[in-house]
Amino acid sequence: MSWLAPALWLARKDLRLEMKTRDVVASVGLFVLLVVVTASFAFPTGGAGREGVAAGVLWMSFLFAALLGMGRSMAIEKEDACLEGLLVSPAPREAVFLGKLLTNLGFTFAVEVVILPVFIALLQLRPGGGLWLLVLSAFLGTLGLVTVGTLFAAMAVNTRGREAILPLLVMPVSVPIMVAAVKVSQAGFAGGMGEGTLPWLLLMVGYDALFLLVALATFHHVTEE
Amino acid sequence: MSDVKAPTLDGSTRPRPVEPAVAEPAERTRRLWGLLALVTIPVLLAMAFWYAPEDANQGAAQRIFYIHVPSAWIGFLAFAVVFVASIAFLATGARRWDDLAASSAEVGVVFTSAVLITGPLWGRPVWGVYWTWDPRLTSFLMLWLIYLSYLVLRGYVPEPIRRARFSAVLGIVGFLDVPIVYLSARWWRSEHPTQFVVEGGRLPDQMLVTMLVGVVAFTFLYLYLLSVRRRVARLRAAAELEEVVR
Repeated sequence: MSWLAPALWLARKDLRLEMKTRDVVASVGLFVLLVVVTASFAFPTGGAGREGVAAGVLWMSFLFAALLGMGRSMAIEKEDACLEGLLVSPAPREAVFLGKLLTNLGFTFAVEVVILPVFIALLQLRPGGGLWLLVLSAFLGTLGLVTVGTLFAAMAVNTRGREAILPLLVMPVSVPIMVAAVKVSQAGFAGGMGEGTLPWLLLMVGYDALFLLVALATFHHVTEE
Repeated sequence: MSDVKAPTLDGSTRPRPVEPAVAEPAERTRRLWGLLALVTIPVLLAMAFWYAPEDANQGAAQRIFYIHVPSAWIGFLAFAVVFVASIAFLATGARRWDDLAASSAEVGVVFTSAVLITGPLWGRPVWGVYWTWDPRLTSFLMLWLIYLSYLVLRGYVPEPIRRARFSAVLGIVGFLDVPIVYLSARWWRSEHPTQFVVEGGRLPDQMLVTMLVGVVAFTFLYLYLLSVRRRVARLRAAAELEEVVR
C-alpha cells in the first residue's frame, strides 16, 4: 500500500487538466498580481521599515492565492462526482489527500515564485543574498497553508457554504504560520538571516509537520460517506 | 443555526411528545450544578466587593479580575473538553461525544467572550488602552475566533453525521493550534519593547481566596450550562431522528 505512487498520479491528473484549461494558474496568478498592485496603493510601501510592510503585503496576497487555488481545486473534484470516484478507487485516502496537497502546493508555489521577482521590482526592494530565504519561507509557509487548507477544503465543499466558508476555517488556524512566514520574509527582504530568524523557521517546520500528521490521520474521517 | 423546524403552534400537523423517549438520569445532577452555581456566584460577588482588599495601584478596576480570570479558566477548560470529545467521537462514532463537543464549544465561546469584554474594561483604566497584543490576549482572541468558526461550520452542515465528523476534525486542529499561537505571539511581541503586562508578584491571601472561589463558582456554572446545552442537543437529536422516520 504505497501512498506515493497514487498521490503522484492524482497530482499528474491535475497537472494535465491544468495544462489544458489553465484555469487555476491564470486566475490565481492574475489575482495575486491584482492584490499586490492594490496593496501597493493601499499601504506605505516606501521609506524606512518597508521590508516589514512588504512582507505583510506579500503574505496577504499569498494567503488569498492559496485560498482561491485550494477552493477551486477541490470544487473541480466535486464536478461530475470526481471525488466519489477517487474515494472508491483502490488508492488509500492518505494518497488522495497527498495528491491534492501536492497539486495545491505545486500550483500555489509556482505562482508565488513567478510573482516574487515582480513584487521585488514593484516595491523597489533589494533582498540581495536574502533571496533564498524568501523562496524557503514561501515554500514552508505555503506548505503549512495548503496542509490545513486541503483538509478543510474537503470539508468545505461538502457544506452548504461550499468554498465560501474555506477562508473562515483556514484563517484563524493559520495565524502562527502567517506570523512566522512574515517574519522570515522580512528578514529575507532585509538581506538574509537576522537575529531570531532561525526560531521562526523552526516554528514553520514544526507547524507543517504537526498538521501534516493530523491531516493524514483525520482525512479519511472528512471524506467518509 | 438550527436545522430542526419548530413545531406548529396548534400542534395539529406534527403531534409529538415534548419530552424525548431518552431517559433523563442527568436531571438530578443538572439541578445540583445549577443550585451550586446559584449559591456560589453571589458569594463570589460579595467577596469580590467586600472581602478582597482594594488594589493600591489599580483601584476598584482590579476587582473585575474575579470575573475575568475564572472566565478565562473556563474558556480554556471548555475547549479542552471539545478537543477530548472530538477525539472520542472520531474513535467511537458515538453521537453523545459530538453533543458534548458542540455544547462545550458554545459555552466556551460565551466565557471567552466574557474574557474579551472584561479584559479591555480593566485595560483601559490601568494600561490606558483597551487592547494590547500581549501573548495571552492574542491567544484568547485567536481561541475565540477559532471556536466561532467551529460554530459557523456546524451551522453550515445539515447532515448530523457529517457535521459531527467535520467539527471533530476542526475541534482537534483548532486546539492543537493554540500552543503554537501562544508561542508565536510571544516571540512576535518580544521584539517590541512595550511589554507592559503587570507580572503577578505576590497576591494578598484575600485576593487569592476570592479568585479561587471564582474559579469554583464558574466551574459549577460551566457544568450547569453544559448540562442544559447537552439536553438541548439530545432533544434536537431525537427531533432529527423523528424527521428521518417520518
